[in-house]
Amino acid sequence: MSWSRRLAALLPRTVAEDSGGTEPDARFTFANERTFLAWSRTALALVVAGLAIVQLLPPFPRVPVGRHLLGLPLIALGAVLAVTAYGEWVRNQHALRRGEPMPRSVLPWILSATVTLTAVIAAVVLLISAAR
Amino acid sequence: MTGPDGHGQPGDDQEEREAGLALERTSLAWTRTAISFGAVGGAVLKANVITGLIILALAPVVWHLGRVSRGSAAREGLPLVSGTRLFLITVSIVAVALICLAVAIFGKSAPGALR
Repeated sequence: MSWSRRLAALLPRTVAEDSGGTEPDARFTFANERTFLAWSRTALALVVAGLAIVQLLPPFPRVPVGRHLLGLPLIALGAVLAVTAYGEWVRNQHALRRGEPMPRSVLPWILSATVTLTAVIAAVVLLISAAR
Repeated sequence: MTGPDGHGQPGDDQEEREAGLALERTSLAWTRTAISFGAVGGAVLKANVITGLIILALAPVVWHLGRVSRGSAAREGLPLVSGTRLFLITVSIVAVALICLAVAIFGKSAPGALR
């Protein structure tokens, strides 16, 4: 599927016009919606954590860009996480309607990679700033 | 949760059988999301007052979006399966992230506030 079609499939009108399959059990629909909301809150947490690092932490000695190096990727990944969560909600709803197996989620992978990468960058920045 | 046809069935747990409880949990999830927007707005308020107020104003909007879902479900006994509300939340978060990026890059920081 081309990228333009993939993007078009995410638009609310396209989702609403998805008449294939049958209406899933309301509880599954609610669960899918709650999962989306939980990922949205996680995305907001990443954004506010990134902003707090840049705005509130004291500058790292010898690493003047350290705060931005840590905070800006977190904010950007918050936006990525939000968009991906919406895409997963659409895919899950599609699968629920058709009784297909639930697609594998890439969100835990993105979050794990983000946290790991941030921790590694933080460790490097701290080591450089602490070195005499 | 998976039935003999492989499509998944509600479990034996009463909480899982009751659609009303699922609706309530979903309403609470919307409320938590609205509070999260409020928290982000409060954090941005410290860096940029106008931007923070704009994000804070999103919190009641998000809460109202959750109420729209709740009201419709109560009337029809089914959830309002509308991607528009969730799409709006996604757009809002992306907008908030872009605003925070701008504030982080161009805004005046308060270094040492967490010292």
